[in-house]
Amino acid sequence: MKPRGPMFPHMVDIRFERVSKRYRIRQTDSKSPWLSRMLGRGGESDFWALQDVSFEVAHGETLGIIGPNGAGKSTVLKLLSRITPPTSGEIMLNGRLAALIEVGSGFHPELTGRENVFLSGSILGMRRKEIQGKFDRIVEFSGVEAFIDTPVKRYSSGMYVRLGFAIAAHMDPDILLVDEVLAVGDAAFQLQCHDRLNELRRAGTTMLFISHDLPSVEKLCDRVVLMQQGRLVASGTPHEVVSRYQNLAANAQVAALADAHVPGDAPVATVEAITFHDLAGKNVLGAGTGGPLVARVHYQATRAVQDAVIEVFYYSRDGRTLHCQQTTAVDGGELMLGAGRAALEFVTPELGLQPAIYSVGATIRERSAAGTIDWFYGRTLLYVEPGKSVRGHFYTPHEWRMVGEHVQPDNHRSHV
Amino acid sequence: MLLSGEMATRAERLDTAGLELDRALRLRRSRGVVIRPAGYSWVNIISHLRRLPDYSDLLYTLSVHRINVRYRQTALGVIWAILQPLLMMVIFTGVFSILAKMPSEGVPYPLFAYTALLPWTFFSTALTNATGSLVSHVQLITKVYFPREILPLTYVIAALFDFAIGVVVLGGLMGWYQVAITRQVWNLIPVVTLLAAWLLAVALVLSAAQARWRDIGVALPLLLQLWMFASPVIYPLSVVPEAWRSWYLLNPMVGIIASFRDVLLQGVQPDPVPLRYATIVTALALPAAYLIFKRAEASMADLI
Repeated sequence: MKPRGPMFPHMVDIRFERVSKRYRIRQTDSKSPWLSRMLGRGGESDFWALQDVSFEVAHGETLGIIGPNGAGKSTVLKLLSRITPPTSGEIMLNGRLAALIEVGSGFHPELTGRENVFLSGSILGMRRKEIQGKFDRIVEFSGVEAFIDTPVKRYSSGMYVRLGFAIAAHMDPDILLVDEVLAVGDAAFQLQCHDRLNELRRAGTTMLFISHDLPSVEKLCDRVVLMQQGRLVASGTPHEVVSRYQNLAANAQVAALADAHVPGDAPVATVEAITFHDLAGKNVLGAGTGGPLVARVHYQATRAVQDAVIEVFYYSRDGRTLHCQQTTAVDGGELMLGAGRAALEFVTPELGLQPAIYSVGATIRERSAAGTIDWFYGRTLLYVEPGKSVRGHFYTPHEWRMVGEHVQPDNHRSHV
Repeated sequence: MLLSGEMATRAERLDTAGLELDRALRLRRSRGVVIRPAGYSWVNIISHLRRLPDYSDLLYTLSVHRINVRYRQTALGVIWAILQPLLMMVIFTGVFSILAKMPSEGVPYPLFAYTALLPWTFFSTALTNATGSLVSHVQLITKVYFPREILPLTYVIAALFDFAIGVVVLGGLMGWYQVAITRQVWNLIPVVTLLAAWLLAVALVLSAAQARWRDIGVALPLLLQLWMFASPVIYPLSVVPEAWRSWYLLNPMVGIIASFRDVLLQGVQPDPVPLRYATIVTALALPAAYLIFKRAEASMADLI
């Protein structure tokens, strides 16, 4: 294991210099006459996916790129992998580049796993000899040894994905682009993928990591940049930039909420946002399983609400309600909301949720009335990281103790 | 973290030492790349061509893959490569020789038709497949970079495989009709090269156009039909009126098919005039086609 080359301490592997990318959007307006549409006149508008973006990635560094959808993150990858050229500016690359993109896109269903390793590998840019040399490692990593001579159309989707990733992960490039691919496969396979990425990182591979999975970004990256509307808006340590992005996202949520309400039907109380904190009150993205978590519900009431109930719902990513916490269950007493802005905290001493990403929502209602006053449905994400070990569906706080005395077998005593 | 312990030992076995070795070996190949806005100067085109050999393995793997996949899950398999031109030959003989009494330069009409159908089927099948090649690989084009000309090129190479089988059948037919194969047959090597070059030129333009306008794929069968009648497939070159010749010969398929007949059926050297036309047109068309293709390639992933 030899880390970054000491001979070139300041070697730069990727350099973006004032790069812009414009897309022409064709208005497919059915009202415009077909002839002018055919001649390509009609409405054409410009969309700048990237505007004047400059950054550098040093040799051996792992840079994370985060930002909302449409910020231009994927365009950066497309330019780097030369799928599409920049409109202006220059990109300098030093070394062999590989992209861990949607795996298995080079597979042909009629061919066997073995044939597809060669096909997909050469599409990704490997030489035949190289693939031959790595073939056993690839197959072992994928765990589909038994089916390697079966046409991949007979594979389960999990096997398909695993083989696809195994090929891409063994390209051993100098520069690796990773785009949201780690969200595939089961938990064990995801761990295996993370291990492989770490291994490549230790071996000095320069990496560009694009993801919405903020905890992974924080864990994997040396530095993070934040993109918004085609521009680079922040750059710094992972923790700095990730929390800045979160604040940004929270503000956007409040703004979006203001727009979402139907006028004339203004509720007397609204949930404005949900934020998470640790016991000290510091803003966090989530917590570890079995660790403490404080969920803060920010609300606004136009008048006082008597005998109110506030509930917080935890949903799985597929929308199932997993858990609910409510104010009545906390102390059984009556909750009266005064007019104005305030917040209410739910303190969970030991979080029971498994490591995963959850969406969280909250409601405000009057206990006596039938309807809910406001429903803030699952717009906040909660990241639960591995903490106390979970086997099964959830963690519960528990203790253990020994009862009774050991009965020592006689034959062991003679050795002592 | 019980689970990850197990994974870690596995990952360790995928030795980092091997990884280092791979990288050291690759150092010779690695070089800096600068990505700039698309430019279309000749210098650019030449640098594209220079980089093509890097992708020879991909070209090989994909071409073999085409041949492998082509007749998979068909009952007759590779027999189709023989049947296609043979059936055309039977149909043409029925219609144009028996019914229409088309002249055939003193050669049995089936053999006369087959010597033209062999290059023609190669041309039309490869062109049809190659034209759709970019559109049928959208998944790859929008995800991975490699020189896109490789896609149409692999279909041209794969069609050469069918062509080779067709040549064997031709040998059988010539034996059957007792037409001797002369030493002139070596003249076919440059002619086949010319055919492949012309095919590639047309395929590059049409595949790039198809990526932008799907109309091309719809119009192609009709175009190929017209093209066949504009080439001496069912009739001999000699029936074309002298006045039309210079225009007629601009179609390189004329020179190519005429050369096939000269060499195989008459046992003489190819007539130089049609062949010269075909060579000049191809020599002008291929670089132009490559330039057009490379221009289209820049925006291909965005527009396809």
